[in-house]
Amino acid sequence: MSLPLSIPLRVKMFGLLLLALGLISFLISLGVGSFSISWQTLGSLLIQQDPSIERSVVMELRLPRALSAMVVGGQLALAGCLMQALLRNPLADPYVLGVSGGASVAALLAIMFGLGGFWVSGSALLGALLNMLVVFGLVQRSGRWSSGRLLLTGIVIASGWGAMVSFLIAISDGAGLKGMLFWLMGDFSHSGYPGWNSAWLGLGLLLSMAAARPLNILVRGELQARALGVNPQPLQISLYLLTSLLTASAVTQAGSIGFLGLVVPHLVRIVIGSDHRWLLPCSVIAGAVLLLLADTLARTLIAPQQLPVGVITALLGVPLFLILLNRDNRGSL
Amino acid sequence: MPAHAKQRLSEKLRAEQLGVGIGERWFCRGLEQTFEAGQIWGVLGANGTGKTTLLHTLAGLRQPQQGQLWIDGQPLTQLDSKNRARQIGVLLQEATPAFPASVREVALQGRYPHLSPWQWETPADIEHVEKALLQVGLAELGDRDQQLLSGGERQRLKIASLLVQQPQLWLLDEPTNHLDLHHQVGLLHQLCAQVREQQQLLIMSLHDLNLAARFCDYLILMHLDGTIQAGPAVQLLTEAVLSRLYGHPIRQVIDRGQSIFIPL
Amino acid sequence: MGPVIPLSLCAYIQFALILAVLSAFQPTIAKAEIQVVDDMRTTLTLAVPAQRIISLAPHLTELLFSAGAGDKVVGVVSYSDYPAAATRIPIIGSYERFDLEQILALKPDLIVGWKSGNPQAALAQIKQLGIPIYLTEPRNFADIASNLERIGTLAGTSTVSNAAAATFRQEIAQLQIRYQDSPKVTVFYQVWKEPLMTFNGDHLFNQILQVCGGRNLFVDLPRLASPIDLEAVLKADPEVLIVGESNRDWLSDWRRWSSLKAVKKARLHALNQDVLVRPTLRIIEGVRQVCAVLQPQ
Repeated sequence: MSLPLSIPLRVKMFGLLLLALGLISFLISLGVGSFSISWQTLGSLLIQQDPSIERSVVMELRLPRALSAMVVGGQLALAGCLMQALLRNPLADPYVLGVSGGASVAALLAIMFGLGGFWVSGSALLGALLNMLVVFGLVQRSGRWSSGRLLLTGIVIASGWGAMVSFLIAISDGAGLKGMLFWLMGDFSHSGYPGWNSAWLGLGLLLSMAAARPLNILVRGELQARALGVNPQPLQISLYLLTSLLTASAVTQAGSIGFLGLVVPHLVRIVIGSDHRWLLPCSVIAGAVLLLLADTLARTLIAPQQLPVGVITALLGVPLFLILLNRDNRGSL
Repeated sequence: MPAHAKQRLSEKLRAEQLGVGIGERWFCRGLEQTFEAGQIWGVLGANGTGKTTLLHTLAGLRQPQQGQLWIDGQPLTQLDSKNRARQIGVLLQEATPAFPASVREVALQGRYPHLSPWQWETPADIEHVEKALLQVGLAELGDRDQQLLSGGERQRLKIASLLVQQPQLWLLDEPTNHLDLHHQVGLLHQLCAQVREQQQLLIMSLHDLNLAARFCDYLILMHLDGTIQAGPAVQLLTEAVLSRLYGHPIRQVIDRGQSIFIPL
Repeated sequence: MGPVIPLSLCAYIQFALILAVLSAFQPTIAKAEIQVVDDMRTTLTLAVPAQRIISLAPHLTELLFSAGAGDKVVGVVSYSDYPAAATRIPIIGSYERFDLEQILALKPDLIVGWKSGNPQAALAQIKQLGIPIYLTEPRNFADIASNLERIGTLAGTSTVSNAAAATFRQEIAQLQIRYQDSPKVTVFYQVWKEPLMTFNGDHLFNQILQVCGGRNLFVDLPRLASPIDLEAVLKADPEVLIVGESNRDWLSDWRRWSSLKAVKKARLHALNQDVLVRPTLRIIEGVRQVCAVLQPQ
């Protein structure tokens, strides 16, 4: 039996820092909002069971929303990390294979027909799965499986969905249109508890961690990976499927939130490098914390008015990404 | 074991009716060759004659168009990828890395074939890495990001990774690319010494005739017309053969007992 | 000497002849020109009352019919569903996106448009095409009555429109008097569910609330209709909550919050939104319904 290799100090410290930030953000998100609740009250609310409206606000509005934001943030960051590794491209994000496009078309159709929350989420999931069938099916059909082919097929299908989204927006008006735009930009205002989606995240993390070491090698190229004893194809196919399912789950819960899946892995890489054994779990935590903070901002920045959370992630993500691009030394871009 | 395939104890790799090519294009046909332990082979030929394809086929990374390969008496196709990676180490002409990683991390990846999925790297593995880095002259650059290395340093890192992998069979595609002269000679010297000592097998493609002459015992020549010659280096390293190989007149000069080849 | 014509009669006949000749060269100004100023302070001039009118908003279709000009309307936008006769008129698009070519094909001599609701570029194009366009932007009851009269003038149906406007003003005044001393009640009107949206103080709905003693809790929002935080509504704790009739199912979401005043006193109502938000004569009905809900005694 061999001795376990110790996790590098830098990684341990970063992990602890992220967890601490996570806890603080979680408490902040429970404490702030239009309905002002003092910190002392918050403490007693969480412990006691008395059915006051303050408790309802915290337990039925803020808590599920915070949990959903964390789960979705984790899912998007994990999916983005995996996609960048699989495509060996630092510019990849979870939506590059069209998952969010398919979900968007389905969700917008549901909104257009006046259907409510549950139907919209359900349609989004169906749309995401349909997209996976189409993209993977087309590549399978052609018989020539490769990352490049998958990427091209995904991009084309994603463009197709994009055109349909534009069409649906063009023929809609009034409040339905507002609903569509909010969905497209990402919105947690009517989210419930994450439920099954947390299981997806947990399962996804476990599976991808099991694949972390071969993934480290796969990132160097398929030929090099095979030379070191890694079988690229089964690994790639299963990870692509996993990534698509994670993205589908995220988009179903909150619409298409941009930038998170692209930027978070890069931020984490700067601190702890590209070893996926730590990169994957740290990205999940970082993604969860960032999206939680972004959502808290989205609902409090211009309260009582609401912003879709995708606006905040874009506003934060764009300058962050530009800073990353302009770093002098270390950087993958 | 079939009667006709009597394996000599020293046989490491055997090509049987081997045909190598890409689609319609064949680089060699019907190659019958036994490669024995302790031998140093060079693969020479002009650009486009299929040296890389041949090496990849011998490494099991490409399916041969025809024929079979045997490694230590077993058909190569029967080995699973990790098993194969334990025995065969390949130096590839790799593209620039897409993501940052430290030199030490990359070298450590050479241990992958030897580790089971849930096994962590041991201090012994770390020691392998440090020794390998020392051998290739990258000991001070252990923490450097691979994306910041020069061409030569990256090449040496690949070699270090192979040293860490500890294969029995070394297949190197242009190992001297990007390297300074003294590294070229130094590293080849070390590798050849190790291969001979531990009765391993080394097959490498080279551009530099003189290095081939100095280090290789045997040669595979891939001619411009698609034919292949294989055999002891002393027999094949003649002006006539080499001029035909490269399609350019080459003169041999002997100086203080050493052969030097000069293109005219 | 023969018959002698007196000198004055001669002059008179000459003068009459000259007049007759001159009048042959002058245009006949038999009726007066129609001149009306719209809500944008633009003056419209029509030579004759409009005979082919196009309406660019559902509420304008209603107003045209109320003004007695219903039979002159040749084109409407979607959702022009009142009165029933309006549904038989050809549709030329929606209030946000209409077909200019179809408009031209109908050869209108007057277009009635909605300043804040119709797209500005399209309105500018209509002006450029030279078709007389009357723009409305009613923000209160007086605006509704005044628009009704002016539209009647343009359509030559002043008798009907003026009478209708007068009745309207009377009924509003009566309602205002009836409810003038009513206690103030805080109200939240839910425009949309996902995202949660409501009106600000500029919307016509506030005029209804004023008559009935209601107070909109979100008058200060920047836009006519804005997305809003659920927590803000819970904090404001309105006494009455109103949604449109077609969105009655939204009320069950609110019942979860049992500590809200509106839920405790079961003052959650679904009312016909067309009479609440459309600036038409039917708003009287809206006022009656809202007042009945806000002031049940």
